[in-house]
Amino acid sequence: MTTKASYQRARKKAEQYFHDRSWKPFPFQKEAWKSYAEGKSGLVHAPTGTGKTYAVWTPTLLEWMSEQKGKAMTKRAPQLRVLWLTPLRALVEDTTRTLEELSEGLELPWTIQSRTGDTSGSVKAKQRKKYPSCLVTTPESLSLLLSYPETKEAFSDLRAVIVDEWHELLSSKRGTQTELCLARLRKWNPELKTWGLSATLGNLDTALSTLVGSHENSVLINGDLKKKFVVKTIIPKDMEKFPWAGHLGGKLVEEVAKQIEKAQTTLVFTNVRSQTEYWYHALVSVRPKWGDELGIHHGSLDRKDRTEVENRLRTGQIKAVVCTSSLDLGVDFSPVEQVIQIGGPKGVARLLQRAGRCGHQPGAISRVFCVPTQAMELVEYAAAREAMEARKIEQREPLRAPLDLLAQHLITLALGGGFSEKEALQEVRTAWSYRDLSEEEWSWTLDFVIRGGNTLRAYDQFKRVVVKNGIHCVESKIIGRFHRMSIGTITSDQAITVKFKTGKTLGTIEESFISRINPKSNFYFSGKLLRLERVRDLTAIVSIAKAGKGAIPVWGGGKSPLSSELSIAVREKLMQAKTGSCKEPEMKAIAPTLSIQDKNSTLPEQNQFLIEKTVTKEGVNWFLFPFAGRLANEGLAALVSYRMSKIIPMSLSVSFNDYGFHLCSNEDLDLSEKKWRELLNPEKLIDELLDCMNLSEMAKRQFREVARVAGLIFQGFPGAQKSARQVQASGGLFFDVFSKYDPENLLLTQSRREVLERQLEVERILSKLQEIKSQDLIINYPGRLTPFAFPLWAESLRTQVSTESWGDRVRKMAEELEQTN
Amino acid sequence: MVTPSQQMIEIQWQGEKLHLLAQKGLFWPEEKALFVADPHFGKAATFRKVGIPVPEHTTEDDCARLLQMLEQTQASRLVFLGDFLHARQGKTDPVRTLLFQWREACASVEIVLIRGNHDLKSGDPWAELSIKCHGEPFLIKHLNCRHHPSDKENTPFLAGHIHPGYSIKGMGRSSVRAACFWVRRESIILPAFGSFTGLKNIRPNPEDKIYLSNDQEIVEVGIPKLGPKF
Repeated sequence: MTTKASYQRARKKAEQYFHDRSWKPFPFQKEAWKSYAEGKSGLVHAPTGTGKTYAVWTPTLLEWMSEQKGKAMTKRAPQLRVLWLTPLRALVEDTTRTLEELSEGLELPWTIQSRTGDTSGSVKAKQRKKYPSCLVTTPESLSLLLSYPETKEAFSDLRAVIVDEWHELLSSKRGTQTELCLARLRKWNPELKTWGLSATLGNLDTALSTLVGSHENSVLINGDLKKKFVVKTIIPKDMEKFPWAGHLGGKLVEEVAKQIEKAQTTLVFTNVRSQTEYWYHALVSVRPKWGDELGIHHGSLDRKDRTEVENRLRTGQIKAVVCTSSLDLGVDFSPVEQVIQIGGPKGVARLLQRAGRCGHQPGAISRVFCVPTQAMELVEYAAAREAMEARKIEQREPLRAPLDLLAQHLITLALGGGFSEKEALQEVRTAWSYRDLSEEEWSWTLDFVIRGGNTLRAYDQFKRVVVKNGIHCVESKIIGRFHRMSIGTITSDQAITVKFKTGKTLGTIEESFISRINPKSNFYFSGKLLRLERVRDLTAIVSIAKAGKGAIPVWGGGKSPLSSELSIAVREKLMQAKTGSCKEPEMKAIAPTLSIQDKNSTLPEQNQFLIEKTVTKEGVNWFLFPFAGRLANEGLAALVSYRMSKIIPMSLSVSFNDYGFHLCSNEDLDLSEKKWRELLNPEKLIDELLDCMNLSEMAKRQFREVARVAGLIFQGFPGAQKSARQVQASGGLFFDVFSKYDPENLLLTQSRREVLERQLEVERILSKLQEIKSQDLIINYPGRLTPFAFPLWAESLRTQVSTESWGDRVRKMAEELEQTN
Repeated sequence: MVTPSQQMIEIQWQGEKLHLLAQKGLFWPEEKALFVADPHFGKAATFRKVGIPVPEHTTEDDCARLLQMLEQTQASRLVFLGDFLHARQGKTDPVRTLLFQWREACASVEIVLIRGNHDLKSGDPWAELSIKCHGEPFLIKHLNCRHHPSDKENTPFLAGHIHPGYSIKGMGRSSVRAACFWVRRESIILPAFGSFTGLKNIRPNPEDKIYLSNDQEIVEVGIPKLGPKF
């Protein structure tokens, strides 16, 4: 048993160890140690590289040391005491080493091992026979362990679960899966302590509640040491010729190269993968001699190549790496001295996170250099810097009761020793995301895993989960095997693998891109100019192109909208510009532009909603500026154009960006303020969005993830048995058969909800429309395109409202296709 | 421009008049033969056996659609271009019952199956269905019937196997993807007939013709010239 004296003894030993390494614990670390020793759970939030790991790892070791009788510690490794969860497989090995360093330093007999999808079968089997004292693993691997009945016994001395990078998991299905697993572990041991490590968030209280679930004794610990950040912008000298949108940056490549030359190692962040390819190529063309000293890193590149770049970063053998959010997380690369951000940061947290990727030397300052790709981004930088300093950071909301994941988890529980309905419901509701799970949702999901849902009631062949004496379990071996193979929530992209003839894999590319490239034409990928030889099945065979130009691949999705927090900060900056009170270099640079906007139209104040109408040779243009981020603006654009075409049937083309949207028509329509108010009314929002957004196609695409999580489709996994091939079907196919034969299926509802929430940000649309109700409408006729309107005008992304029948739509699109070619 | 929706499109191909039907069959009036590829009967049942809940009624609907086409065309011969059955595990009692009922309803029609890769594994259909099974190719007049399309074939042929799908994009996020007939100079690839079968995107050449079909309607779509648009 722990006594005060034995704990003090253990603590002294640890402090001596730290002292010998001339390392002084921070107050927040001591606070975490103390809280842990009191049996509390908690969340420690701080930027990366500030010692969060030892804040929570040390007390788990102290706990064990103080349980040892007398002074002599046992030499035997204790059985599983700590589970360490991390979202990134790539982090597992480094974490294991960091944890070992302390336990070995304290001369403890603890064993620390990792377990992920990459761990070999024989190691996994050994681990299940004899668990290490601390297991470093991922949420998916933990869930998989829960599917074995013996796990309960093996986990009987588990004291703590540590969840690393909790902010990253929190608002994803992986986070929800973690919650469900924790609910199970807490049911086995109500005293279990849960500790999370997180970057700073706008809703830390929710992050804490979600993490600790039913464990009431919990604490939030602030480890933010107010590390120094410097955000500077590379301002184009020639502002007049500054392009408004698009691939810009061309002019700034030389400046960026010069900035890279000033530091030992630089991370160059872009917002999307295609920009990474573009900038890599642009930098190589101005500094051909860099060659291998310049690396490229994004999520579609082959894992081996990415790992190599990471290793070279760690050892400082590389000058710069052009990357996407693929390097937002992960181990600290100590040689990195500065960060360059290309394009708008779109979120305060993101800029903070990226800034934190450099300056790890003690006392060093994190420096970010921002490179605008269009003028309004100058305002974003100034706004983000202020919000960062004030720590006005975005919130991340946990998901609400995803039923696909619940279905998966129930089968896991059924496999892992079985469950009774009443107890399982209670347990699931202790997970924050499911705290309000309705009876109906519960019964439907249970029915879905037992009988396969409504349409299969009479089907005697369907027996996924069977009920025996009130206990739900899985009897069929094959069902158990298939389930274990498909545990998890990560849905891999359907993609074309890019390979050399020799067999070396470069990465993956989207089919829609490759289908537009002719064989023998060139494209850039993985920082190389490649020639497409042929496409067979799902593989594109390429060779190195000798010379010439090439297309840059585009990947769908991934473009994050301007966050609400940053959008508010941007509007504040615009207000300051109006009164001339801005001092930042960025705001000074853009001042002439903003004053043209104010002179020809208006720089809208907080209580004003700006609408501009301009006639050009293309037609009548309406520009509206909700500043709601690109996703919500797209939804608003679709809604308003749909409502306009109800007044007079007309064809409207639509474009949008983070600040506003644009409607263009051949027909003129005189819209009074009253009419505009009707067009911007929040009533019937969802119904009309469903009508105008071609939502069913979007939901069908989203269903791929839902179907995968609910165990309807199997992903390609290594060593897949042949028998698995007979049961391959796509998410879209399931969507179609469910829509036709089982339209009440709640997974369809979930898929539509996910589209509304994630792809359209419907909450944001709603709150924006409500805000507009109380704002003054400013309707201007500036006579020509204003600085705000111009980028929308130039924006080539267009959506179209369509209410025609299937056949008409197909014919119309086919005509469009022919016209554009 | 709104043209009335069509259930059938007549084409001239290799000197023959052929009807492409919205229900994913191809009818050859002169031979009174109806061609259907890849019904994959019993696929849903195979899924259910391993615990994946696929709704019932896809098989009933497919049988009904076949009968409807036979009725409509008055075909005397029905040729399956392979993959009649999906897998051995799918030969369940309910599937058998449904197929027996269907066969009774079209008892006068002669049925031929060109064995596909799935048929080779699952075995020939129940003898009571009286379906004559052949290996590929199987010649009717001057056209070959196959399951697998072949590059080396000198005779024009009809085939299945690919489950051809094609998607066309409108503006923005708007797009439609559907099963299609892929008509080339020397071959026609039929869409997969079964309701519970997937699609594979094809890369047609500009001289090919594509007809999208969703069971209710059939539409010809243009094929853009290949090449990057930037």
